[in-house]
Amino acid sequence: MVDVWLPRSAAGGSIMDGAVQVETAATYGAAASAGSGVTPDSMSFEQLLTPLLSPAFGIAMSLVGNAADAEDAVQDAALRALRGFDSFQPGTNFKAWFYKILTNCCFGRHRQEKRRPAAVDLDDVPDLYLYARTAASGLHTVSSDPAALLMEKMSLEQVRAAIDALPAEYRVVATMFFLDDLTYEEIADMLGIPVGTVRSRLHRGRRMLQKALWLIAEEAGIVQELSRGSA
Amino acid sequence: MTPNRLTCEETFRRLNDYLDRALSPEEKRLVEEHLETCAGCAREFRFEMSLLDNLRAKLSRIDIPEDMLARITRRLEEARRECE
Repeated sequence: MVDVWLPRSAAGGSIMDGAVQVETAATYGAAASAGSGVTPDSMSFEQLLTPLLSPAFGIAMSLVGNAADAEDAVQDAALRALRGFDSFQPGTNFKAWFYKILTNCCFGRHRQEKRRPAAVDLDDVPDLYLYARTAASGLHTVSSDPAALLMEKMSLEQVRAAIDALPAEYRVVATMFFLDDLTYEEIADMLGIPVGTVRSRLHRGRRMLQKALWLIAEEAGIVQELSRGSA
Repeated sequence: MTPNRLTCEETFRRLNDYLDRALSPEEKRLVEEHLETCAGCAREFRFEMSLLDNLRAKLSRIDIPEDMLARITRRLEEARRECE
């Protein structure tokens, strides 16, 4: 695997020159639309697609659960987008159009698998779950930024495991929001669900994620380690 | 109708939409006005914002498979040739 760090200012590249370069979707958004989400008419398919491939892989990973299937899903989506590019309306949102194709590719693959059971009971998680837990464990006396303290100690794999523990309908919304900073409306359009459903799933999913993060941090001994600093 | 000032409860009800940048400019202003004068709510909001920022920073580190972009490039070029 190639570990690619995607700073918000990463430079872009062309897919057709064969170079493995990445560009964040945020950079793409700024270049393509100056924040409006609308794609200028003058950009080619490759210019539109290239900066989306890396975040698309991240989204696909979260939806299908493994790198091989995620890459296949991104490739399928890229091919379908190329073949259907004539139907893309210039001046509309290419990112939303491509991610919609991607999620369909992922769901097509995912339906063939058995549904992954939630690893933890995430029902009825109260608001501010992590805030209350970190306070009760004394972490608020250890650091003025206990959330950052906890997250610094948790590995990327542990954070991914927490997201993976969410039920699928919450995982997909949370992934799109965290990985590509999409709006409620964009996510709703891609998934074909009402904006209100996106909003409620994102809010509930965030509470579930806090509990999953806490359980993983406890199990890994991170909470105990950090709490010793408050004694 | 939007109130002139928010209570702690009213502010808290707007926490998620504030984090998602889904509040209207007027509601955002009211929330931030409350946070300037209420240390308790400010602490909770700061915690949630920091958690979100740190999650985003961690997740933006994407491990893409080696040569994935090159493989997709080749497949797209093949597809283009097939269409010609």
